[in-house]
Amino acid sequence: MEHVSGFSLPNSGHNRDAEASKMGMWLFLFTEILLFGGLFIVYMVYRSLNPEAFLMASFELNVWMGTTNTVVLLVSSMTIAMSITAIQKGNRKLSIQLMVLTLVAAVIFMVIKYFEWSAKIEHGLFPGQAVYDNLPPGESLFFFLYFFMTGLHVFHIIIGSIVIGFAIHRTAKGRTTKEKYTLTENAGLLWHLVDLIWIYLFPLFYLIH
Amino acid sequence: MTSKAMSLSYLQGKNGIFSWIFSLDHKRIALLYLYSILTFFIAGATLGVLMRLELLNPGRDIMEAQTYNQVFTMHGVIMIFLFIIPSIPAIFGNFFLPIMLGTDDVSFPRLNLLSWWIYIIGAIMALSTLLWGDGPADTGWTFYAPYSVKTGTNVTMAVLAAFVLGFATILTGLNFIVTIHRLRTPGMTFLKMPLFAWALYATSWIQLLATPIIGITLLMITAERVFGVGLFDPSIGGDPILYQHLFWIYSHPAVYIMALPAFGIISEILPTFANRTIFGYKAIAFSSLAIAFVGYFVWGHHMFTAGMSGTARVIFSVMTFLVAIPTSVKVFNWVATLYKGSINVQPPLLYALAFIFQFMIGGLTGVVLGALAADIHLHDTHFVVGHFHYVMFGGTGFALFGALHYWYPKMWGRMYNKLVANIAFVFLFVGFNMLYFPMLVLGLMGMPRRYYDYLPEFHVPNMISTYGSWILATGLLLMFGNLIAGAWRKREPIGRNYWKTGITLEWQTLSPPPVSNFDRMPVLPKNGPYDYDNKPEIEE
Amino acid sequence: MSNQNDLKTEVKKAPEVHISSYKDHFSTLMALLLLTFITVAISVFGADLRSLSVFTALLIATVKVIVVAYYFMHLKYDKKLYTWLLVIVVILFVSFTVLTSIEYLNR
Repeated sequence: MEHVSGFSLPNSGHNRDAEASKMGMWLFLFTEILLFGGLFIVYMVYRSLNPEAFLMASFELNVWMGTTNTVVLLVSSMTIAMSITAIQKGNRKLSIQLMVLTLVAAVIFMVIKYFEWSAKIEHGLFPGQAVYDNLPPGESLFFFLYFFMTGLHVFHIIIGSIVIGFAIHRTAKGRTTKEKYTLTENAGLLWHLVDLIWIYLFPLFYLIH
Repeated sequence: MTSKAMSLSYLQGKNGIFSWIFSLDHKRIALLYLYSILTFFIAGATLGVLMRLELLNPGRDIMEAQTYNQVFTMHGVIMIFLFIIPSIPAIFGNFFLPIMLGTDDVSFPRLNLLSWWIYIIGAIMALSTLLWGDGPADTGWTFYAPYSVKTGTNVTMAVLAAFVLGFATILTGLNFIVTIHRLRTPGMTFLKMPLFAWALYATSWIQLLATPIIGITLLMITAERVFGVGLFDPSIGGDPILYQHLFWIYSHPAVYIMALPAFGIISEILPTFANRTIFGYKAIAFSSLAIAFVGYFVWGHHMFTAGMSGTARVIFSVMTFLVAIPTSVKVFNWVATLYKGSINVQPPLLYALAFIFQFMIGGLTGVVLGALAADIHLHDTHFVVGHFHYVMFGGTGFALFGALHYWYPKMWGRMYNKLVANIAFVFLFVGFNMLYFPMLVLGLMGMPRRYYDYLPEFHVPNMISTYGSWILATGLLLMFGNLIAGAWRKREPIGRNYWKTGITLEWQTLSPPPVSNFDRMPVLPKNGPYDYDNKPEIEE
Repeated sequence: MSNQNDLKTEVKKAPEVHISSYKDHFSTLMALLLLTFITVAISVFGADLRSLSVFTALLIATVKVIVVAYYFMHLKYDKKLYTWLLVIVVILFVSFTVLTSIEYLNR
């Protein structure tokens, strides 16, 4: 037989606290900034050590595909931000639609990425493949970093999409409301991070010159 | 009238293994960490004893060179990633941070449980490297490229284990930061928080921001091992020193993850056993932040002989001297706290005093290593080994032991045998210094580290050191045995404030605490957490 | 002791939330697309400015990041604490970059 203390604290850790959730999400985003940051440091060092090689290697990349992806992600940032506005105004259906649009943008991004990657793999440029192994030193570093960084980025797009999926589900079930929309807000923050990382990846890989 | 009769302690209530390993109660999670962390400590200490057996005499004693390399690697990986880094925050931070803040849990209890599970998974991954292939990594816990990329031992699993363990650290740090921001009891401003909370706050920021860097670095090593070519390979234009930069950008702040919580413990123990307010509360609080901040900019002092530019070496050396300043501020303030206090000599105080003595030696030897010219001679010698064991073990380790002895009556509502505790302390103190002081001498004499053999002129200090390890091991057995035996000692119930002079909020609640931490509203002293002049009257 | 109980009701009351309009978000997107266009244009057409264009591209990228953080991520309307924390984190990362660069540039 369990007795529970009749006393409870006003500042209980078991209360709903939207601000705490938001703070937690921001702290997590800081870790992501440092995570990708490590790779940006590697990029910066190797580009400064191998400037010609990085330039030569970058010609393999298609500026227009990169630009399209940039535009796609920027639009998706807008749609997810708008979906928060929608739920704040109590418009559940529009919120869901905008989140779905965000997912559509994510799919478009990944499809373009898929074409980019397969083209390079066909050209033997993936680490371990024949052409890659015979590249001049700096160029192989460029491609290693390209696959690693865009790969890690796509991984985060997938995670972000899954979180948005959860937010859609919660909104559809009515558990996300005009007053309680923490998950949607945090899904948005995560998505914007994915956008931010690409904003830096794009000029560094596609616009070397 | 208290609701004591109605308050089940957190140890009672639901029982059975699943109610523990799936518990959302921060106190139970703290004990889960305690038992797992101490188990790994014993494993790591055993490896250390084996190392000392090998080093008892020159030449081969009990193992081959290759095995020795694997033993010291495993010793480092276990001690650093499975023991020291999590220890004080995961055990005592989890148990006492919410209570000291006057709340009933952390901000994200489920994330807290997840952290422990991730920790266990990472630990299993790390230990699994013993079981297959060419055996555990033989690179040293630092996994320097290019050897870490080339060697056939289980480096990939070891670095992935460290990657997983990093997640546990990050999530705990995140949880504590939000808890401190959001859940302090009404009336407790930041400047009325106990110093242990300040220490955990600074530590949590390091955990959060530094760990991702090693995360990504270890992923790069993994990628290099899997794909055959990689980012630190000179033959394709890569630079092994870049690996060292990335590794130490995390691993230096990591030592402050180890040290800052220990400083917090000392700041809690001293006022209680001096029965007076801490000297310089704000200085100690802010010095924690200063150490955390400056500590991000000193990493190059691990790389003075690696081939860095001269300008960089000078900058890192200057920053290293700077970071010693806030630490010494703390030491002065602790000593001043004892001055004209009403000193009550109890086991926790003994550990705190040993901490101050040993951390001083460790810290000062660190400053010696920070001097460029001295480091040329001392880098990668036993001087370094002595230095970091003095700070990590003589410092943080002893602070952990002190915390165990300090909060034991609160956590379990029982008490250990104080005489045995004091005897164990003597063994530990003598054994520790006998084990590690000779290393400082050996380093100055020129004996390199991570060598399983050595010249005959190094024999005597090595023997002394090994004998010291046996005394230390005895002390550990006595100490742990005593603490475990305390569970069965029959005595009258432990009151709320066992030491009588505790003033932080945990000493206002029952021993052991109820599930929701408090059975009545905690009362803050008027002028701050160590306001001994206005200590609230707490009836039992 | 009564002081603390009176404060009970002040714990975590819901703050007034600013709601960005759809128009705000759309304008933000337009600004970002314009900046993107400028970046690409400089790179594709401003060939002779090679070393300057790295710096310019990163500068414009930073402006875009600030716009996304301030408007899309709502930092402009949130507690100042978040902006300060982000600034500190960025400064930290930049200092790692700078220190590492100093090391490499002075070899």
